[in-house]
Amino acid sequence: MTLKRVRLFVVMAIAAIFLLAWVFPIIWSLLNSLKTDQDVLAYPPKLMFSPTLEAYRDVLFGSAAILPNLISSFIISIGTTIITMLMAVPAAYALARLRFRGKRFAGFYVLATQMLPPVGIIIPYFLILRRIGWIDTYQGIILIYLSFSLPFAIWLLVSYFEDIPFEMEEAAYLDGATRLRTLWRVIIPQVRGGIAVTIVFVFLNAWNEFLFAVVLSGNTVRPVTVAMFNFVSVEQTLWAKLAAVSVLAMLPVVVLGIVAQKNIVKGLTVGAVKGGGRR
Amino acid sequence: MSLFKPTRRAFLKAGTAATALVGLAPAVLRQAAAQEADLSPYKSAKIDWQQTSGETITVAVIPASYFDNLIAIAPQFKTLTGIDVRFEKIPPAQIRQKSVIDLTSKTGIYATHAADPMYYSLYAANKWVEPLDSYVSNKSLTDADWFKFDDIIPAWRNADSIDGKLYGVPYDGEVTIQVYRKDLYDAKGLKPADDLATFVSNAAALNTPNDRVWGTALRGVAGAGQNMYIYPSIFREFGGQWFKGGKLTVNGPEAEAALAWYVELMHKSAPTAAANWNWPDIADAFSQGTLASYIDAHSSASVVNNPEKSKVIGKVAYARWPKGPSGKRVTSIWNWGFPINAALPEKKKKATWLFIQWAASAETQARTAHRFAGPTKRSGVNRTSIWRDPDYVKLMNGFGHNFVEATMESLQSDTDVDWRPRVPQWPAIGDTMATAIQSALSGQATVKAALDDAQRRVEPMMRG
Repeated sequence: MTLKRVRLFVVMAIAAIFLLAWVFPIIWSLLNSLKTDQDVLAYPPKLMFSPTLEAYRDVLFGSAAILPNLISSFIISIGTTIITMLMAVPAAYALARLRFRGKRFAGFYVLATQMLPPVGIIIPYFLILRRIGWIDTYQGIILIYLSFSLPFAIWLLVSYFEDIPFEMEEAAYLDGATRLRTLWRVIIPQVRGGIAVTIVFVFLNAWNEFLFAVVLSGNTVRPVTVAMFNFVSVEQTLWAKLAAVSVLAMLPVVVLGIVAQKNIVKGLTVGAVKGGGRR
Repeated sequence: MSLFKPTRRAFLKAGTAATALVGLAPAVLRQAAAQEADLSPYKSAKIDWQQTSGETITVAVIPASYFDNLIAIAPQFKTLTGIDVRFEKIPPAQIRQKSVIDLTSKTGIYATHAADPMYYSLYAANKWVEPLDSYVSNKSLTDADWFKFDDIIPAWRNADSIDGKLYGVPYDGEVTIQVYRKDLYDAKGLKPADDLATFVSNAAALNTPNDRVWGTALRGVAGAGQNMYIYPSIFREFGGQWFKGGKLTVNGPEAEAALAWYVELMHKSAPTAAANWNWPDIADAFSQGTLASYIDAHSSASVVNNPEKSKVIGKVAYARWPKGPSGKRVTSIWNWGFPINAALPEKKKKATWLFIQWAASAETQARTAHRFAGPTKRSGVNRTSIWRDPDYVKLMNGFGHNFVEATMESLQSDTDVDWRPRVPQWPAIGDTMATAIQSALSGQATVKAALDDAQRRVEPMMRG
């Protein structure tokens, strides 16, 4: 019993150390976002201070408001996620279940697009968007985001579709269901967890993307990841405002994470740990 | 001398320090746009400002107060010329990337952009930007007597020229100078350093980490515009030459002595974290009273005098770079200039030139500096005449003792156009050098090993 307790204590202590390392930057940002510029720079760092929402007021409604940028980020991320899922689910199902010519090649091609270093394809993307007049537009950025979110989503979903026992599908066919009806009524409810995981990852990737956004966006469409960079100016870093924007930019992802948590855990376990397991 | 009387109080009262650096309140913008809407000083130029009326140009700038001031009065330019200017603010690292993509793909998105002077070699070698001499001398586009091109600070004009041809017109610039705590220096009977050895001994004398005061700090973080912004001055002061027998050489005895000086100073008299600091971190630390001195851009004076943050207001003074063993002082030679994108149609090129002429003119420089209605005034104006204007001098000397003299003398006597190697391969070379410097500063490599490794990496770049 004592040994067990000691072991538990050691495990908890190690977990606490890791947790501290991971949580510290977030807590630090949160605290800084509630400080004045003077308090941010104070040494020793102030843990007790009179909190102010001034930084939030400034970044939401002030001269350098990032509200339009948050809206830009939402439109891009939600747009990317919806289109990705609409295309990835049937594509993943097809790769997992159907037999067609060039299937292996198609699978490899989808994976290959993930192997390109993004910085190498910025200029071609820029030229294409420029040619069709889509620089600094939502459709332009979403189109480019699809080029990496779609292969990622397809590959993630294929493994979930492959886990569904074929017998379930057969049973549906025997009952007279069409393939589409089977997919919709039988298969998709079974891969709910996988779909939730994919949605979270696709949304997260689009929300946090910076490299393409900074090159392909402009004054009209400017996601928050690009806008917040302007708080690190050549003259000084506006720490309190930067922290406030970071906290605001973190919020939607945290909320999405909490909402989808149950499905994520289920989805991850099924996909990764159980391997070819059955639900 | 009466010109240089410190008028800190009036200066601070006017709220001149760098507050609200990212954007200005809309009310201030409107106020600034309305200010001095009198266009007669521009109309006295003998050119037709309306010759490209109806054009629209996009100008990329960085988020900085000196560009915010320009954006604020841009409606005056529209009224004067009929040209619509669309500004896009892009952070410094990305503005280089985006403009190079735009220039290399000849898409002509940015008619002009705030350009890094170190990039002109690359731009000129590829003919991505227009040589500007023909614009300066074209009587229908430029009234030479009105524009007074020679009034623009020569060091910055030279930095924006390659092989005698002008490729960019300086808008705002800076030089690196010594910034020190006069109260701490006076208490120990120290004088600002005249040579690098004294700078080291001053820093050592004031280095008392137990009291949370370190002797000094120089930019340590890796980057072509970070530690490779400071190191070239030290290298040149130690007698280093970038080219030996026509070959770019970054190692050798002078380089080793220069980097060893940098490393030793940072180890002995700077906070450990400074190895990873950029200049805003240094200015913030100094403003909190934890540094006795630093060498960095003169424009940092606005941060260390920011009444909302600084604890050292009234205790700051300035001096030129200390001399190196070669007997030379070498400051940075930096400005944000405006080139003309060569991919533009002719009419847009003309419109862009009119914009550049307007932005770089003495009148606009004054309107965005001491005569600006908003809270931030510029310390990097491009005109010698303004640096001699009593109103401007009075305002600038509010930053502390010897500010204007140190800046002007540095600009006139301590600049060296070959402060950094001006070659088209600079972006890659700058990064390679920056990594080498940081590996020596952090103790990962010896000075010699770091520099020899940099040399090995730089050579194929020059061949390619």
